Amino acid sequence: MRGRLDRHLTPYLFVAPFFVLFAVFGAYPLLATLWMSLHDWHLINGDGGYIGLANYSDLFADPDFWNALVNTLSLFVISTVPQLFIALGLAALLNTKLRGRTFWRAGVLVPNVVSVVAVALVFAQVFGRDFGIVNWLLGLVGMEPIDWPANVWSSHLAIAAIVTWRWTGYNALIYLAAMQAVPNDLYESARLDGASTWKAFWTVTVPIIRPTILFTTVVSTIGGLQLFAEPLLFESKGASTGTGGSDRQYQTITMYLYEKGFTLFDAGSAATIAWVLFLIVALFALFNFAVVRRTVASR
Amino acid sequence: MAAGGVFARRGVRLAAGLVAGALALTGCGGGDDSAGEGDKITLTVATFSDFGYEPLVKDYMAAHPNIEIKLRVTEFDQHHKQLATRLGAGAGAADIEAVEEGYIPQFRQSKDKFVNLADFGAKDLAKQWLPWKWEQSLADNGNFVMGLGTDMGGLALCYRSDLFKAAGLPVERDAVSALWTGWDEYFAVGDRFIGSGSKAKWFDGVGNIYQAMMNQTPYGYFDTSDAYVGDSNPAVKTAFDKVAAVANKPGMSAKLDPFSQQWNVGFKQGTFATLPCPSWMLGLIKDGSGPENAGKWDIAKIPGNGGNWGGSFLTVPKQGKHAKEAYELAKFLTSPESEAKIFQNVGSLPSQPETLKNPAVLGFKNEYFSNAPVGEIYAKSGETLQPNYRGTKDADVRPVFGRALARVEQGKQSAADAWTQALSEAGKALGK
Repeated sequence: MRGRLDRHLTPYLFVAPFFVLFAVFGAYPLLATLWMSLHDWHLINGDGGYIGLANYSDLFADPDFWNALVNTLSLFVISTVPQLFIALGLAALLNTKLRGRTFWRAGVLVPNVVSVVAVALVFAQVFGRDFGIVNWLLGLVGMEPIDWPANVWSSHLAIAAIVTWRWTGYNALIYLAAMQAVPNDLYESARLDGASTWKAFWTVTVPIIRPTILFTTVVSTIGGLQLFAEPLLFESKGASTGTGGSDRQYQTITMYLYEKGFTLFDAGSAATIAWVLFLIVALFALFNFAVVRRTVASR
Repeated sequence: MAAGGVFARRGVRLAAGLVAGALALTGCGGGDDSAGEGDKITLTVATFSDFGYEPLVKDYMAAHPNIEIKLRVTEFDQHHKQLATRLGAGAGAADIEAVEEGYIPQFRQSKDKFVNLADFGAKDLAKQWLPWKWEQSLADNGNFVMGLGTDMGGLALCYRSDLFKAAGLPVERDAVSALWTGWDEYFAVGDRFIGSGSKAKWFDGVGNIYQAMMNQTPYGYFDTSDAYVGDSNPAVKTAFDKVAAVANKPGMSAKLDPFSQQWNVGFKQGTFATLPCPSWMLGLIKDGSGPENAGKWDIAKIPGNGGNWGGSFLTVPKQGKHAKEAYELAKFLTSPESEAKIFQNVGSLPSQPETLKNPAVLGFKNEYFSNAPVGEIYAKSGETLQPNYRGTKDADVRPVFGRALARVEQGKQSAADAWTQALSEAGKALGK
């Protein structure tokens, strides 16, 4: 009797920690947020009454939401796409017989382990209008200094640079791990068939690490759509309201959520944004899944 | 998630049991850390930036052996946002929480989360403060006292005497004060400064100038009955137009956001000659400019009327367990004697008439600012100043106009377009 119970109970006990943690830190907040989004909810005073989908209709009628969505997508595209390609190239380089391999492999992860606050501080200096390095370099070739946060394109470029700097190495290491698992004899037979290194990379390496590419794409998409710390810290300290510049030129969806919830204390609207963002991310993840599967399979 | 059909139902029940168990465990874990040995009480005081409480708290603990005081200091925005979430969550707030004047209207909407200090007899202290400072913390027609006033921010104008000298302008502080009565003259002197060919700009950025102007008006975006008048109050339009006219004028604005990293660099590099400075800003200017610029800054009269920018209150959140003791401590920290000491330690301007007449305050000079008699300058500005009423929804509207001027300053919009957009954004913010 005891033995049977053990056999039935033990597997559940082994998986239980995940489900318990998920219930407490995943499912509960998710459902509580849904609940809040259906109410007029003040951050401090709490529930101000059920209002159905009013928060949602307000949000969809709000041009600032669409502005934030466009900014988020733009930042996502110009930071994630180059980032993954650079990471792939970097991983291929790290996979060769480099001198001081361990050093380089550990090195690419450094930007990722540096505190995002420190990174943002440094980049704020780099992209400073009056005394920044980038403007100084532009000045050397006779260009006018750029007020980076002031315009849509320049602020997006600067923020994308921060994001790319932070996450490229991380993705490169994941690719590298996958590449190391590619059996060497496949490369040998490819070489015997007369394939160049370039060709072998695209016909052997990439198809085999396809699941990893899918994984990083999905994770980067989720991260990119929730982009928050980098643009928020790009705001000057005196105006850290989450507005993203004088004309909301780099306000992302999560910053808009922050502005609503923590600057204006409107937790109901903030919860609504959180849920809409959740649905958008889910859609993107599915889309990603389909696209990456098909394109990589057809190679 | 694809759970196996056979195990699914039993699994759910099991998982539910485990969750309940885990919750019970964590529930037990959340212990009470304020109940110490015997009847020793721990009080936490949460402030942003240095309120100068350290020496005072030591004295207080020596006089009250049963009380242990912890100071918690966070950055300005973070402090208030944390307070909001902790009030909402019903746990985590300190026994005494500082709230800055600009945040008072927002927190007043949640006054039920705070102890009414009138219950402990705070009304008897009313005469201690300047009347407007006392009134700022009231709700319910004066029956609810949300907090006890700490400092205030009488306005003055800080200027770089070395840059003034190089530009052929007067250097001595009385002579500089005599250069202007209103802002038009101030901008005209700016033209003279620019005309001298100085490489520095006239002021730091439109943010500070506009803020100072708005703080000189009796009321801004909301009238004293709390009705929105941002689109009709001539004081708003006048200030906006005056600032917008110089925002993108060459040489006028260094185009820096106050309190930003770039602003600090501006101090160090000397990229601007003047800025409005409430007394609490002197510390920031000194830190930003660094020892190499000691003695280059001086302080003159602000253009226009006196005005107040900033200053805080000590509140007692209801969730604390020792409201009475917290109130007594807040009373001590805001007493005239304490405020006088704080002024000498960290320069926060007392908000109490008696303290402003205290010779130790009046005679105080600031070495870094060319030995300016800051006690006398700010005490005078404090007594004559015009307090500014802030509406309940001020925080929703105020930033909108600030951003509009930033767009003009950045050369993205004309003054007229920025104004139109600000009005429509403000209307939208209040529409809900």
